[in-house]
Amino acid sequence: MASNDRVRQRGITIHRPIIYGNTAVVLTQQERETVPSPDHTHRWTVAVRSPASADSETVGGKDDLSYFIKRVTFKLHDTYTVPSRTFDKPPFEVTETGWGEFEIQIRINFVPESGEKAVVVYHHLKLHPWTAAGSNDPEIPPLEVAMKMGPVHSWQYDEIVFHDPFQSFLNILTAHPPTALPRHKSRPVPFHTANPASLEASRGGVPEFTQQMEREEAERLEAARKAVVAETDNWRGRLIGKEKELEKLKRLLEARGGSTD
Amino acid sequence: MAGASAADVRSILSLPNPPTPGPSQPRRTPSTAEKARKPEGISRELYSLIGPSAPTLTAQLAKPRLKQKPNLGGGGRVKWRDLEMDWRSFKNGARGDKLELYHWVKAGTVPEADYPFAKYNVQTMTYVYSQDEYMRLLEDKDWTKDETDYLFTLVRDFDARWYVVYDRYEYEGGPERSMEDLKDRYYSVCRKLIRNRPWAGDETSKAQLITSLTFDKEREVTRKKYIASLESRTPQQKAEEDALYIELKRLEQGERRFKRDREELLRTLLGIDSGLPDLPVEEDGLNSGTTDTKKKKKGHFSATTEPETPVSASSNAPNVISLGQPQAKKSQSVSSARYDATHCIHRTEAPSTTLTTTKSAHVPVYLRSYKLPQPKAPSAARVAQVLGELGISHTRLVMPTRENCAQLENLLETASALVETKKVVDKVEQDIRIMKARLGQQESGGAETGDAAPTPMDVDDGNDAEGEVDGRAQSVISTRSARSRRASRRSMSISSVDTSAIGAVKRQKRG
Repeated sequence: MASNDRVRQRGITIHRPIIYGNTAVVLTQQERETVPSPDHTHRWTVAVRSPASADSETVGGKDDLSYFIKRVTFKLHDTYTVPSRTFDKPPFEVTETGWGEFEIQIRINFVPESGEKAVVVYHHLKLHPWTAAGSNDPEIPPLEVAMKMGPVHSWQYDEIVFHDPFQSFLNILTAHPPTALPRHKSRPVPFHTANPASLEASRGGVPEFTQQMEREEAERLEAARKAVVAETDNWRGRLIGKEKELEKLKRLLEARGGSTD
Repeated sequence: MAGASAADVRSILSLPNPPTPGPSQPRRTPSTAEKARKPEGISRELYSLIGPSAPTLTAQLAKPRLKQKPNLGGGGRVKWRDLEMDWRSFKNGARGDKLELYHWVKAGTVPEADYPFAKYNVQTMTYVYSQDEYMRLLEDKDWTKDETDYLFTLVRDFDARWYVVYDRYEYEGGPERSMEDLKDRYYSVCRKLIRNRPWAGDETSKAQLITSLTFDKEREVTRKKYIASLESRTPQQKAEEDALYIELKRLEQGERRFKRDREELLRTLLGIDSGLPDLPVEEDGLNSGTTDTKKKKKGHFSATTEPETPVSASSNAPNVISLGQPQAKKSQSVSSARYDATHCIHRTEAPSTTLTTTKSAHVPVYLRSYKLPQPKAPSAARVAQVLGELGISHTRLVMPTRENCAQLENLLETASALVETKKVVDKVEQDIRIMKARLGQQESGGAETGDAAPTPMDVDDGNDAEGEVDGRAQSVISTRSARSRRASRRSMSISSVDTSAIGAVKRQKRG
């Protein structure tokens, strides 16, 4: 059964959860003197990690992903020296200083046993604190204010899905089951633009991904679906009413002996 | 005539009482009261015998105690069988109108409590379908739309009481329908509607509702025939059945006894518990030979089988194995489900052999958020708008797990259904507007508003033509309005002659 053949296990889909994103802090006055360029205002770290948190200071990173990830390449903005940063061993992260937000291309290569090509994800580097849409505060608060607000986190949960994996790869994967996320939240929630309501819950510390987030999103979707169904029923009722009216009018028209061309 | 007083004489002669003031007055009133009652309560002779002061007299002469009429009107407290009752108004929550009636209520009850019988007004679930739904889903060769509508109206009116519906069912021009036919058509329509409409709530409740609406016509027909035949059995048949039943019972008893004896025997022979008592038992000779191998297998399965099954090998081993296997498989699936969950494995049906030969069918690795369900092209913008109103982004999920993606897909589906329904409503509304305009044109007798008027339509075309005309297609409007000009001219001539008749018809229709 545990053959190492290059035989694909049909009908099996296996996935592994990951998170990717960045953390950013405002540089203090002293720190700014040590950086390469005087206009750098923030220090940021972009990373690809496992969603379960290693400790209370980091977002994610409990599991070592190198059992299926061979290499991660971060393509930074061209103004950085050697914009293409590659890592063949964990931790798969880049720490740099800068002043601007830009899109980072992250390419993930898998171990050869997988027989899979690389995947590419894009991450918008977030330096400035999240603001609620339509709030009175300006988009980018001044640095002193930002420094008080603490580090800025922008992370995206995702799952890498493998279809019909090779037996050898499947064995590798099953030898490393991912650590399950905590069921309930005990730390702030990572903010996501798809859930603007989580802005309040995201403040005040290092966020952590939880199963509760997943459940809450499912509930949100379910509530939306119920609302849509109720609306549909409503409209269907109106439709039936209007159809009846149309019928009446049609019959009225016919009864007039109107011109049936 | 002893004791004939002046008062007696007066009353006999029906003379009015003289107004005598003084102490005699109080005495007078009871006596006059008595005297006034003399002819009513008892006969005069009896009264004269007994005399006015006898205590029995007053008791007998009390007004005949008929049933005490309750103190109606004006609310108020009345004592009834040792209970204080109030005359209060109440509202019935089950009524549509605001009718307030009055009734007697025990004094202690809370005034605004719900009417206790309101909860018995159970309404059956009514199903209404739109034309569009009928065309798409509910066409049937035996049933015209009209007849189906008629059936549904009846069912709604008579609260789905099938005997009444069947009795009142009189569709002219239609074939003879048995009750099973009616029920079959009704329930199949309901099931199709439920399956095809978006459903709030989970799949299990939907499945339950569908199963509650199952109706198997064949089975019902045969069942009723069977019951009818059961009713019409002759006495000889009944006697025969009874005799057979008794014999069956006797045989069963005998069989049980036989089994028990067998088991005891085997138990004593093999010296162990015989396991599951109800399984058919094999011969000893066979078992002692095979028990060793079975014991091994049994030991393996016993780790996973339920506690009732004893661990030791037994004479029933071969049969216990067969029972053990399904149990082992079940628990194996439970543990493998947990295994799958921890490893994030999802198993799907392996495709058939024809597909496995094509190597190119391999789906490469992807990130789940890259394969989020997208709204379908034709109504994508509107679906996105619906989702936006609900505050859901359709481009990204916070946690794109398989379940959440499935949820999103569901949501998109239902949103598309909503958009579809709205479109059909708009279409029908436009038709109505056109109809009204056309009616208006006819009535006014040809007020020529060709250019601005919406396109009048042929009555025959119905909704189909509207589907093609987009309202904005100018060319079609011009041809149609030409026709309308002709039509209105015709109606103008008619109306000048016959306005009264048309008016009468109009009044009749509207009335």
